[in-house]
Amino acid sequence: MIAWQPAAEPSIPARQQSAQALEYGRSRDARDADLLRDTGLAAGLDPDSLVSPSQYLQQLANTLRTLDSPDTSFMLGQLLLPGHDGAASHALAQAPNLRTLLQTLCRFHARLTPLLRPRFESWGDVALLYWVDAYGAPGIRPALVEMHMTALVALCRWLGGERLPWRFCFNRAAPRHVEQHHVHLGAELRFGCQLDAMLLPSSWLDRPWPRASEVAARLAQQAAAQEPLRAPGPLAALYDYLLEHVRVAPSLERTASDFGVSPATFKRQLLRHHTHFQGELDQVRTHVALWLFQVERADNDEVARYLGFHDAANFRRSFKRWTGLTPGPIRAALDGELGWFAGA
Amino acid sequence: MSTLIRHILSIGALLGAFAFLFAGAGQSIPLAQWDWVDIASEGGTALLAAVWCLIVLSSRPDGLVTRLLAGGLACIMLGSWADCLDEAIDVDKAALWDNALESLLPLGMLVLTVGMYYWKREQATLSDHMRKRERLFRSHRPFDRITQLADAAYLREQLRLESRRTDAQGCALVLFDIDEFHRINREHGQLEGDRVLQAVAHMLLLNLRNDDLLCRYAGDRFAVLMPGLGEPEARDAAQHLCRMVSSMRHHAASGRVRITLRHGCAPARGAPDALLADLCRQMDAA
Repeated sequence: MIAWQPAAEPSIPARQQSAQALEYGRSRDARDADLLRDTGLAAGLDPDSLVSPSQYLQQLANTLRTLDSPDTSFMLGQLLLPGHDGAASHALAQAPNLRTLLQTLCRFHARLTPLLRPRFESWGDVALLYWVDAYGAPGIRPALVEMHMTALVALCRWLGGERLPWRFCFNRAAPRHVEQHHVHLGAELRFGCQLDAMLLPSSWLDRPWPRASEVAARLAQQAAAQEPLRAPGPLAALYDYLLEHVRVAPSLERTASDFGVSPATFKRQLLRHHTHFQGELDQVRTHVALWLFQVERADNDEVARYLGFHDAANFRRSFKRWTGLTPGPIRAALDGELGWFAGA
Repeated sequence: MSTLIRHILSIGALLGAFAFLFAGAGQSIPLAQWDWVDIASEGGTALLAAVWCLIVLSSRPDGLVTRLLAGGLACIMLGSWADCLDEAIDVDKAALWDNALESLLPLGMLVLTVGMYYWKREQATLSDHMRKRERLFRSHRPFDRITQLADAAYLREQLRLESRRTDAQGCALVLFDIDEFHRINREHGQLEGDRVLQAVAHMLLLNLRNDDLLCRYAGDRFAVLMPGLGEPEARDAAQHLCRMVSSMRHHAASGRVRITLRHGCAPARGAPDALLADLCRQMDAA
């Protein structure tokens, strides 16, 4: 059975992310009553207690609304990493290079970034990190993405001692407050993409960082590995499951039984996270198709066969439904997206 | 909110005390003889003056100007109210206190006028303070809360105005970044970071020409619009500003923090979004 962490169950130590966000809200002259409204934490945040992911999400939504400033998500991001989660945070801060850092982040994501699940891929001369919803928060998803991207950019800049040449893709239209992206992330931004991703030439992955120590890094990794693993959010777990089984056209019934619940319960749970099975499956298939187009240089026939479609025409129609575009223009856009690597 | 309620209560108490005084001292006129037009106009004046008085008290910080304005309006309110009560209650015309109360109306106008005079002087001081922070038009929304500077939306609006101008006069846009600002935030905390931003904003403001506009673009990035300057002159001015900031001493709780700036410069021409994106790219490469 697949382990996952329900959104309503307390699992995040309050002294970590939640306390940090509260402190930031206070430093901007917001009242606790506004910051903690509807979270069930109104009596005060006990640092030794646990908060549930949905409480933390509600708190972030309150903070964004109360402060009503375009830089809130970015400033919260500046504080997020390496965080205060003992061994996992320590392992992150001790990473000797970018590759280890990203691997550590992905391994301990349920502790370090419980709301969004980072996934790291690398091929040819491209390194890519993209963010997948763990609990579903459609209202503040763009702000969460800004927050998590800023957290990673700021951490790398701090550890690496220099600005890394990140390039950013956003699954949203261009915002009004693009100046915040310019300053906190970088000037290479692309909006209206199919996923929220950060890209970098892979030559940066293995450059040793100035303060790196191999021994300290190894010890920190070992200590982090000793700690009990925290389960990911339901949508992150489902994404992993679907990605693994994408070739056999997973069904709701089969998936529900692998998650150890009845299809009706599973459906209800997904609904509670503002999504449904088909939507999640389509998202995974879109990402896999993009991956095949870009990395394997596959054509429509090959992708259709890989994803279990009858023929290319069928796949093309479905792809249009998932993304609003046919594979042709997307492939051209992807080439444009990654074209700068060839130039660099 | 509670101060507003207190003001409402004290105004209500004053009005009630007047009504009580009149009712106790005079005899009520039969309803048939009431002049309704007079009552409506005088009573209405009193009520509206009460509302103005409340608006002044709730929207301005306490001070000489606020007290004069609110006091004048309160006198007008009470004078009109006394007039209004006169219509309904007959008081001996020889009574001095009744005349004194009615003369509150012209007295209030006098106090209000004095208040307006001081308000004008206060406004001139504030405008002087706002110079270099705004240009051409005033809009109360787009101000950054930490530095009290205009934000990126205001800057884009100004660039749009600038790009529409056809005269040959040049205009330059300069961006400034604080070196290693992320480190200040991490090592000294975000509150210290905010203080650094305020210090840099002040230093830049002190060294700008009256025509220049300083904005906080985002984070630690400041933008200066320099009308009438070509690129070389603007670059020169930017270098001077960087020198001024680096000679500044900033004292954090844990010791002195060195602050230096780097800058990028371009003529303010073309679409604002593309111009800003290009200049930001230049800043990242620097």
